[in-house]
Amino acid sequence: MVDGVLATLIKSFVLVNILMVFFAFMTWVERKLIGRFQARFGPNRVGPYGLLQPIADLGKMLQKENMIPAGAKPKLYLMAPWIAMACALGAFGLMPFGNVATIPGTDYTFHLYIADTSVSLLVVAAIGSLGFYGLMIGGWASSSKYALLGGMRAIAQLVSYEVAFTLAVIGVIIQAGSLSFVTISNAQDNLWYVIPQILGFLVFFVAAVAESNRPPFDLTEADGEVVAGYHTEYGGMRYAMFAAAEFVNAITLSALGAVLFFGGPSGPYLPGPIWMLIKIGGFLFVLIWIRATLPRVRFDQLMKLGWKVLLPVATLNLLLTAAIVVYR
Amino acid sequence: MDIVVFFIASGLAIASAVAVVAQKNPFVSALALLGNLVSLAVLLLLLSAQFVAAAQIIVYAGAIMVMFLFVIAYVGPRSEIGAGERKPWQVWLAVLASALIAIEVIVVVFGATFGDWADLDGDYGTPAAIGKALMTDYLLAFEVVSVILFMAAVAGVVFGAGGRPRRLSDDEVQAKEAESAEQRRREASRAVLDATRDSMGEGA
Repeated sequence: MVDGVLATLIKSFVLVNILMVFFAFMTWVERKLIGRFQARFGPNRVGPYGLLQPIADLGKMLQKENMIPAGAKPKLYLMAPWIAMACALGAFGLMPFGNVATIPGTDYTFHLYIADTSVSLLVVAAIGSLGFYGLMIGGWASSSKYALLGGMRAIAQLVSYEVAFTLAVIGVIIQAGSLSFVTISNAQDNLWYVIPQILGFLVFFVAAVAESNRPPFDLTEADGEVVAGYHTEYGGMRYAMFAAAEFVNAITLSALGAVLFFGGPSGPYLPGPIWMLIKIGGFLFVLIWIRATLPRVRFDQLMKLGWKVLLPVATLNLLLTAAIVVYR
Repeated sequence: MDIVVFFIASGLAIASAVAVVAQKNPFVSALALLGNLVSLAVLLLLLSAQFVAAAQIIVYAGAIMVMFLFVIAYVGPRSEIGAGERKPWQVWLAVLASALIAIEVIVVVFGATFGDWADLDGDYGTPAAIGKALMTDYLLAFEVVSVILFMAAVAGVVFGAGGRPRRLSDDEVQAKEAESAEQRRREASRAVLDATRDSMGEGA
């Protein structure tokens, strides 16, 4: 806590609310863009340009009946969406949005990040992997075979892609010599790491799409095979929490990509948070673009890609980076 | 602040440890063990061991417990063991083992003298400090552990893959080919028979 307990609480509150509003806005952007990619209009009835669509969706979700399926384990069933949501929001808390800022009109300065530890990257990875327990517990506690299979797929996918993901990120860590996001983004003032770490970035990006369960790697909720996967038996706000957690994870991974490979909050003219938003938005646009373009892969293709392509490439990148850093 | 966090985390650690053995359902037991590991990570954080805390969650929660839950969920409700199936010697062995651990803890706690808080370096517990320690003072232990883990991984692959298919001798290959030729001949003649029977059936 760099600014004391009270300031940290206020910053966390503000960050969570901005994040949820951003998420709601991005659902509109996603539907609008997907519509455009498919030569449709997308949502355009609620409010100007359909902008109030997320609020209408929220109202619909809130009105739905909250029920617990017969044979489910009630406590775990109710706990699962909260685990997914809490971990998704928690992981985002470590993202830096700049260095130091002053509140206009006063001389009160504060840091544009909630925490900066020497192990930030590991903490994000740890919280992210805890988030998968929400999916696993939800799938198991629903007492439905489709939900269980969806949860299983999520775990198998996580375990396969976490290895390549971590190895790809280690290249950046070696080059920056730190696990702290602030240090890593400050180290890129001259050159973004996406250029020297292009191999690592490609592996990171593919693995990040897989870890956030976005198409074309959304096998955990492949509708033709496992209905809706782990959240088949969830409805109303509980479903909405799973969906929100999934999208917030995608935002977190975008922010991670922006910090590790695109200089994070640094950039000319505009303030840090704006640059961070632009970079996150760029990542999300590409994610939506990919969703509209690529068909879903089969499960064996997913496993083959993870273990036989990404892992060797990430290892190669790691060895090259280590050799260059040592002998330079 | 530290004291409050310490008591909450230790309380959760003890409660979840009890839940691991008290729960009948193995899935819930594994989740309780997960809760225990997370509470221990919080305690490690209080000891300024940030790297070990993060690594504990990534390794145990992110990889090991996930595999536990994976297997338990696949094996299914069959794995819930009734109270009658316990063997008495297991109970006695467990009591003995816990008594030994309790004695060890008592001896250590009451045998130690608690002095003032130790002064820590600025980089104590950071990845850099731990990496340096592993690569200099504890290099041998580190390498031995990595070799053991590698062996375990290879052994896992060998066991998981099952026996390698045996290479057949020439005689066996010929016998197999003859057998499949015989099989094909039978199928062909059966198809002819079926066709004949069908056409006769239609005629009658």
